[in-house]
Amino acid sequence: MTVINVTLPFGLIKKVDDYSKIINVILEQQISVNILKFSTGRSGINLLLDIPEDKINSITEALKKNKVIVNKKGRVIVDIEKCIDCGACVSLCPTDALHLDEKGLLEYSLERCLGCGLCIDACPRGAIEET
Amino acid sequence: MTKTYSEINEKIKNGSVVVLTAEEMINFVDEHGIKVAAEEVDVVTTGTFGPMCSSGAFLNFGHSDPPIKFEHLTLNDVKAYHGNAAVDCYIGCTRMADIKPFEYGGGHVIEDLVSGKPIRLKGTSYTTDCYPLAEVDTEFTLDDLNQAILCNPRNGYQRYVCAVNSSDKTIYTYMGKLLPNFGNAHFAGSGCLNPLTNDPDYETIGLGTKIFLGGGVGYVIGEGTQHSPSNRFGTLFVKGNLKQMKPEFLRGATYEKYGTSMFVGLGIPIPILNEGLAKKTAIKDEEVITGIVDYGIPRRDRPTLKEITYKELKSGSIELNGKKIKCSSLTSLYHARKIAETLKNWILNGDFLLNPPAETLPTDTVFKPMKLTAELKFVKDLKKDAEICYDDCDIKVVAEIIIRKNVNHIVITDRDRTLKGIVTSFDITRAIAEDKDHLSDIITKRVFTTKDNEPISNAARKMKINNISALPVLDDERRVIGIITSEELM
Ligand code: SF4
Ligand code: SF4
Repeated sequence: MTVINVTLPFGLIKKVDDYSKIINVILEQQISVNILKFSTGRSGINLLLDIPEDKINSITEALKKNKVIVNKKGRVIVDIEKCIDCGACVSLCPTDALHLDEKGLLEYSLERCLGCGLCIDACPRGAIEET
Repeated sequence: MTKTYSEINEKIKNGSVVVLTAEEMINFVDEHGIKVAAEEVDVVTTGTFGPMCSSGAFLNFGHSDPPIKFEHLTLNDVKAYHGNAAVDCYIGCTRMADIKPFEYGGGHVIEDLVSGKPIRLKGTSYTTDCYPLAEVDTEFTLDDLNQAILCNPRNGYQRYVCAVNSSDKTIYTYMGKLLPNFGNAHFAGSGCLNPLTNDPDYETIGLGTKIFLGGGVGYVIGEGTQHSPSNRFGTLFVKGNLKQMKPEFLRGATYEKYGTSMFVGLGIPIPILNEGLAKKTAIKDEEVITGIVDYGIPRRDRPTLKEITYKELKSGSIELNGKKIKCSSLTSLYHARKIAETLKNWILNGDFLLNPPAETLPTDTVFKPMKLTAELKFVKDLKKDAEICYDDCDIKVVAEIIIRKNVNHIVITDRDRTLKGIVTSFDITRAIAEDKDHLSDIITKRVFTTKDNEPISNAARKMKINNISALPVLDDERRVIGIITSEELM
């Protein structure tokens, strides 16, 4: 199984029918899906879905056709033992998921992370890993 | 109102000393004015914690029995310099491991050493009558060493530049990962907390100044390499006993596709001997100015696009050409503050006395460029005429030109000579094998290109890393004015 990170942008679902359409897209794949996380983000409803690895392409395609945003990779984790709060990752992050708090300590907010992966090779301490 | 070092030291000893960090000093001066600050504040502490590539350590292992004189030496597979006496070496932080380069390097060896971890030492020798042993393979920890001396020829830049990237590709530099088209910005240095920024005329910092280094006590032992006081890019040569240092303030680092380095914690106490120093140590981020430099141009004199203050740099974004760019630091400001705080506490606790330098840093040296005896060659010196076909021409015509002119690359343009793509002799072969008859089926549209004034070595690197054998040469209007192929470079 593998995790994908999808966003239902605000405005995409107006009626119950819209919802069923998307659910049907997933059902058509004849697989079981685990919803690992359900949260409201800045741009819409974020879902972290656990799906079978070999279906990733067909599901992604089907979801995209229905205007669901599929964030390519999984999310990242920051190893705070390795992190030295330098900030080198912060400017790479398009959503401020990585930012420094008032004291200058690195904060990572999973809710805001798109899983774009831009930050991973920017860290001089190898502290950011893809999940 | 002036003070002397011994008056300040008396106060440190009797517990009446007033110490502020450089950030606290700003507020104090704002509130009470410079005159009062000069009277009441005795010491201002500074700090920075950033990647400092010119760092490393001298180690002495003691003698083996029978003794060895190292000819080659690695520490955890990282080569150390051994051009000294038998069992001395220097491990530099940017030297990468032979196994796992770009992951582990000299900086990591030093961090592991300071963390108390065992280090694998492998050494060989050509053997002499006095040093007969040919090989050593052993493990040691920091405690086993006679001396372990951090000795960094260039640390603590007075200020540094802010790096951006104008090119159309992500670049990986010692200033971190820089996104294309000014996608982000990085700066280094702690601004108002930076040691030399608080004593810009080097009145108190010089040979023998006692400092915070890597979590222990160290000393400035002179001007750093590339010390450039005239444009306020002063640097420091520092040393300290590695055995007292802490891994929290000495961290190995790896910059993707650049190499390894080490974060060094450095803090300097500035005695407030007079009003001038009170004023200088109250410097604010908005008064520390540096330049935004375009690292997308791989030349020594990269263009400076704009001046900027550390206040803007620390704000999280900068403005350039009317565009807001996300900006972050490579220096840990959290740790910089912590260093200034720690040093302050050392002084308040009476553990750390100040002394005047035996010699202050030079204020008039110039940082000269490298003297190159071979003349720099540019693309315009080596380019040749490109064989060009228009984008609507027949594959057969292209094939004929390849044969007739005995070339491997045909540049495809429109009627205005604007670049459309490139076709190689291999593409033609493939077209035949796969039964394709339109140029558009085989043309490579995303073409790496060069310009007349690009140094040959840069063009060669472009070909090497992209695994290609030719670059069309374009003018400023993107019209094809020639080609350079790997044959010309040989
Ligand atoms: S993966 Fe992308 S969105 Fe997530 S923290 Fe890294 S840069 Fe930010
Ligand atoms: S780049 Fe790495 S070490 Fe620096 S703040 Fe980000 S996660 Fe931490």
